[in-house]
Amino acid sequence: MKSEARKPFSKDIIHIENIDQVCNDIIAKLKMDVTKNLQRRGAIVGISGGIDSSVCLALSAKAFGSKNVLGIMLPEQDSSDDSRHLAEKLAATYGVSTLIEDITKALDGFGCYERRDEAILRVIPDFDKKVDKAKIEIKQNIAENIPAIFSITVIKPNGDVVSKLLPAREYLQIVASTNFKQRSRMSMLYYHAERMHYAVIGTPNKHEVEQGFFVKYGDGGADVMPIGHFYKTQVYQLAKHLGVPQEIIDRTPTTDTYTAEQSQEDFFYQMPFESMDLIWYGWENNYPAEEVGKVMGKTTKEIENIYKSFERKRKTTEYLRMKPIF
Amino acid sequence: MKSKNDVKTEIKKYILEASLSDVKDVEDDALIFENGLLDSMGLLFLIEFLGETFEVEVNDDELNPKNFESINNIVSFVNNKLSVKV
Repeated sequence: MKSEARKPFSKDIIHIENIDQVCNDIIAKLKMDVTKNLQRRGAIVGISGGIDSSVCLALSAKAFGSKNVLGIMLPEQDSSDDSRHLAEKLAATYGVSTLIEDITKALDGFGCYERRDEAILRVIPDFDKKVDKAKIEIKQNIAENIPAIFSITVIKPNGDVVSKLLPAREYLQIVASTNFKQRSRMSMLYYHAERMHYAVIGTPNKHEVEQGFFVKYGDGGADVMPIGHFYKTQVYQLAKHLGVPQEIIDRTPTTDTYTAEQSQEDFFYQMPFESMDLIWYGWENNYPAEEVGKVMGKTTKEIENIYKSFERKRKTTEYLRMKPIF
Repeated sequence: MKSKNDVKTEIKKYILEASLSDVKDVEDDALIFENGLLDSMGLLFLIEFLGETFEVEVNDDELNPKNFESINNIVSFVNNKLSVKV
C-alpha cells in the first residue's frame, strides 16, 4: 500500500469493525481446513482457562458442533488452581466435553523439575525448591536499544525476593527443561487427536507466532492455528463477540509455567498488549516512528528502539518457525 | 592484571569470532546489536566470556547501551570494573 493512500496511524487502527463477518470467515476457514484439507472430523483443543485457548475452543465449537470438539486440560504441579475452574466454565458455556490429563508424572519422568531446579540452584544457592517460588523475567526497558536478557527471580515464603541475571548455561537449561511441559502437552493432544481422528487446534496468536513466544514442537505443534494472524487485543474482541465467560476475559494473561506468578508481559513482551499491538502494527506497516510516537505518547527515539527490538525478536526466533531443512 | 590494550584485543577478538566477522568490517565504535553482530544469545555468551576471561560480573542494572552497544563501550565498562577491583 502506498503511504499516501493509507489511514493515518491511530489507536483504533486495528479495531475489527465487522466482527460478525470476521468471526464467520474464521469459522468457515477452520471448517474447510480441518474437514477438507486435513480430512479430519473434529477438533482437539488444549484449554488452560486463558483467552487464546478459550477463543479457539469457541471457534471450534461453532465450526464443528459441540459434540465434535474435545477440550483437554493438561495441568501439572506448577499450574494455577484457577486454570481448571475457568476451563470447565468455558467448556460448559459451549457444551463441549472435557478431559483432564495431569502431566506431572510424565514431566517427572523426563526430569523436568529436577533439571530446572538444578540450574536455579547454581545461580541462587539458597533456593529451597520445596517452599520458594521461582520465575524468569526480562527486567530491561524495551525502549532501550539492547537485546533482552533474562533474570531468575526467587520469592521466599516471607516475601523476600532474590533476583540475578541468568548466565547462558543456566538460562538455556531452565528453558530447555520447562519446554518439556509444552512438548508433553503436545504429545497428549496428538494421542487424543489420533484416537478420535480429530485435528489439533493450535492456540498461538499473532504475537506468539511472530515474536517466537512458543515452544517449537510444543505449543507450536498443531494442525491449524485459527488465531495465528490476530493481535492480542483483537483476540479479546473475538472473545467478547463469541461469548467467552467474562472471568476469562478479565484474567491477566500468564505463562502458567513457573511456580511464581508471572504475567506474559513480565516474561516476554516487556509492555502492555494494548501498546504492543499498535506499535507492532506501526512497525510491520512501515509507519514512521514519529507518527506512531505522537499517538502513543512516546518519543520518536523510544519508538525507533521498540521497532528495533521487534526486528531483533523476529530475527532471533526465526529458527522456531523454520520447518526441517532437507 | 591485564592492560587496557589486552582487554580491547581480547574483547574484539571474541566478538569477531562469535559473529563470524572479518576484522576490517567491524569498527570499534560500530553498534554491535544494531548491525546484527550479536543478538540476545550473543550478548548472553559475551557476558559469560567477560566473566570467564576478566572475572567481571554483570548486574541487571548494568545491562544498558552505554555499557554494551559497541566494542569501545564494552572495553570501557570492563576497564572500569577492573579498576574498581584494584
